[in-house]
Amino acid sequence: MYHLLFKSFFRTKIFLVSLVLLVSVGVISILIGKQYLVKQENTIVAAQEFQEESIKRNLEYHSDDLGLLLYYLRFTLIKKPTNISAISIGQSDVNPLLQAVTIRGLEGQKYDTDFENPSLLMSGNLDLGFVIIYLFPLVLIAMTFNLYSEEKELGTWRILAAQTAGKARFLLKKLLIRILFVFAILIFLMFLACGILQIPMNQAFWAIFIQSILYVSFWSALCLWIVSMLKDSSFNALILISIWVLLNILLPAMVNNYVLNRYQVPEALNAMVEQRDGYHEKWDLEKDATMTSFYEAYPQYKNYPVPDDQFSWIWYYGMQHMGDLEAKETSTEMMEKIMMRNTVSEKVALFVPTMHTQLSFNNLASTDMISHLDFLKALTEFHENLRLSFYTKIFENNPANVIDWENHEAKFYSPKRDFSWMHLMLPTLLITLTIAVFGLFNLRKL
Amino acid sequence: MRKNVIYLLARQLWKDAFRSKVMSIALGLMVFLLLFSTYSGWENYHDQNYTRHLVQDEVQESWENNPDKHPHRMAHYGSFALRIKHVLSIFDLGLENFVGNAVFLEAHKQNTVNFSEASMSTGLLRFGEVSLAMLLKVIIPLLIFYLGFATVARERENGTLKLLIGQGITRKEIVFGKWLGLYSLSLIFLSAIFLILLCFVLIESHDDMYSGSLLRYVLLLVSYLLFFAILSTITILVSAFSKTAKGALVKLLGIWLLFVIILPKSLQAIGYYLYPTPSKIEIETAVEHDLIQQGDSHNPDDPHFKALKDSVLLANNVAKVEDLPFNYGGFVMSQGEAMSTKVYLEHQDRLYQVYRKQNNLERLSAFVNPYTAIKNWSMAFSGTDFQSFLHFKAQAEAYRFNLAQEMNQLQMDFIPNKGKAGPNTISNKYWKEFPPFEYHFLNVSKVLSNEVTSIMALLLWSVLSVFGLLRISTNLKAI
Repeated sequence: MYHLLFKSFFRTKIFLVSLVLLVSVGVISILIGKQYLVKQENTIVAAQEFQEESIKRNLEYHSDDLGLLLYYLRFTLIKKPTNISAISIGQSDVNPLLQAVTIRGLEGQKYDTDFENPSLLMSGNLDLGFVIIYLFPLVLIAMTFNLYSEEKELGTWRILAAQTAGKARFLLKKLLIRILFVFAILIFLMFLACGILQIPMNQAFWAIFIQSILYVSFWSALCLWIVSMLKDSSFNALILISIWVLLNILLPAMVNNYVLNRYQVPEALNAMVEQRDGYHEKWDLEKDATMTSFYEAYPQYKNYPVPDDQFSWIWYYGMQHMGDLEAKETSTEMMEKIMMRNTVSEKVALFVPTMHTQLSFNNLASTDMISHLDFLKALTEFHENLRLSFYTKIFENNPANVIDWENHEAKFYSPKRDFSWMHLMLPTLLITLTIAVFGLFNLRKL
Repeated sequence: MRKNVIYLLARQLWKDAFRSKVMSIALGLMVFLLLFSTYSGWENYHDQNYTRHLVQDEVQESWENNPDKHPHRMAHYGSFALRIKHVLSIFDLGLENFVGNAVFLEAHKQNTVNFSEASMSTGLLRFGEVSLAMLLKVIIPLLIFYLGFATVARERENGTLKLLIGQGITRKEIVFGKWLGLYSLSLIFLSAIFLILLCFVLIESHDDMYSGSLLRYVLLLVSYLLFFAILSTITILVSAFSKTAKGALVKLLGIWLLFVIILPKSLQAIGYYLYPTPSKIEIETAVEHDLIQQGDSHNPDDPHFKALKDSVLLANNVAKVEDLPFNYGGFVMSQGEAMSTKVYLEHQDRLYQVYRKQNNLERLSAFVNPYTAIKNWSMAFSGTDFQSFLHFKAQAEAYRFNLAQEMNQLQMDFIPNKGKAGPNTISNKYWKEFPPFEYHFLNVSKVLSNEVTSIMALLLWSVLSVFGLLRISTNLKAI
């Protein structure tokens, strides 16, 4: 029986079209992921070279004035790219993976973006995640929408019904073959990606793997349910595509619009202005205005003198730090708003498998917003440590050679995140099971 | 062709459409989406612009309130340029949320435009955004296909097509009647959306910054009228060429997917694949390299700056820098600013050339995909395309350059050279005199010239449509 069903399925045009479409677009998407990884690697190498060279060059001219030297030098923190991010590039094309900062005020440097083609950002990356979320359901729909109705419309159903004992079982078998075919391609592409992109088979990989399987199962269940209503082909095609449009375009986009409007972030602009004013206005104030708050933040530097009538580095870097201090509150509010956007999106996504799959892909690949916020936090710490390690030497007017510059190559930060399997798998699993039960229940009436 | 027969057939299509359940569900959904996108578009536009104007004013106020000081201090104090949204961005969001909104303008340095909405969003952004134009470009075409897939094919399946022809109605009348019915049906949605938009345009266009928005509106309207006519034609043609209604539906759905999702996205991806973009750090390194090649301002023995000094001393007939009639430090900085800006802009232009190449593949596909044509046209006239953003960037950069050079000039004119007696600060009246940053939108004729490809493609499609309809009018198969 299966043998025959397979044979007849392999003869259909849709089988060939789906096979070619999924495999070719899948391979292209993996190559695009590869290119993304290569670009990241190049960027990192360029950043490392840039830092080394610029330290060397500046040392030549400013080695007697450490304060001035560090005014120019930039230090890079790199978010270590995980290979798995090539499967789900997510937000990592909008947010840069490295930041080069001077020890001056951080707030003005923290949000500097990389150069990206905005048209590309708008159309989004064609990564494997996209192929799974958008194209796999379409292929499933195309292969199953007329599973029953076609036989009915061609008049072959009656003959079949007379010949088979279990009509429902027959339909299920037909469906199963198509689903297995799609699963086979999915698994093939997953392992192909694993090989080409050299993704380690760790927890994150298996989580993405299982999430994809669940996601495709969700669409299979949905197709089963629509087919089980025994309506005609046109109706099925129409309703399935409508659901696809609703779940893959309308709902997520509406949630996104809502979240952006509900949690607007004027704080971003305000913090930027506050920082500038917080630093610059200090030039025109008594030095005490700067030093009092600076000593409050860093009491360990109290004993360095600040001459009233001439420029001193402790005062200068104190002023720089004031900019950050004065923007701090607004900046924190901005981060909270962005977190709110994320939290609300994730909550709504629990009920919509497309959104949930996308967000968990990004989460597992460390390409989501939270991962970037973590990076910014690490950058703040990095900046603070840099400052503190240099401050004493600058304030004591040391020459540049007291610092071991070999130690100041570009530094890496590795994102660390854990996830809960329950939170990841349960929503899609429950929705899938519910729909499948409805479908099977309908088929009993056949 | 008899007019009354065509009207009769068109009216019949209306009646059938409104009798079906799909139409009532679709209508309900459309009304909801319409309200949602109008509200969210307006709120976004209004709140964002409000904040940006507010911040821009604050920036100007704090600039003017600076006390007397050294002009170079002010060059570093700098200013900000905030991007203002065009009123038509309510209609089409385009690249609006993917490009930055604010840039810090200071001497010696070109900063990136930061704080795009995308950089503060979750991964949901990749699913797209809902706007009035999105409804017109994505959802309503699908609806047109739903409403029209059966028009000819089902009549033929049921044998009624033969009857109609038998009763003396010509094939031409049938084709144009069906087409008119479908097209007029799609205009319900089009007119609803454009009526709402007209209100917004009229509310906001008294401001002279938005002058030209009515003209932009009209151009948008015309292009969408054409686009819907083209879509209606495609529907009728596919329906007429299909054996069964189901076949027509499947084909149309395939076309929709191809036009709206698959072609634009994969062409964009291929463009990106073919023309890789350098990263910011690579460009910065290249800029620095070029600058050092020309002259290293940090090197006291640099030949370029030494030659500059010698020639200035010679021209002014003095032996020492201190004896020059103007501040030499200001002069060197103004020279350096001009030089570094030129180098930076050259590299930036090269980058934009790469972007242009990346995008051209999709842009030119307008000749095979009418959706691309309307997409680019619609973004451009809504002031939300890449060119509009570049226009903003160019204005911000020009302002920055102006500010830095003005401060350098003040330094040259009023600050004495080292070792000479005189003030180290200048009056704050100079800050008050410096005009604030003001953004002006691209003018309509410039947008038109940017979008020649899109309009050519739309016109070509229109001609093809008429041709296709006429063709099918003569050889429509009755059975």
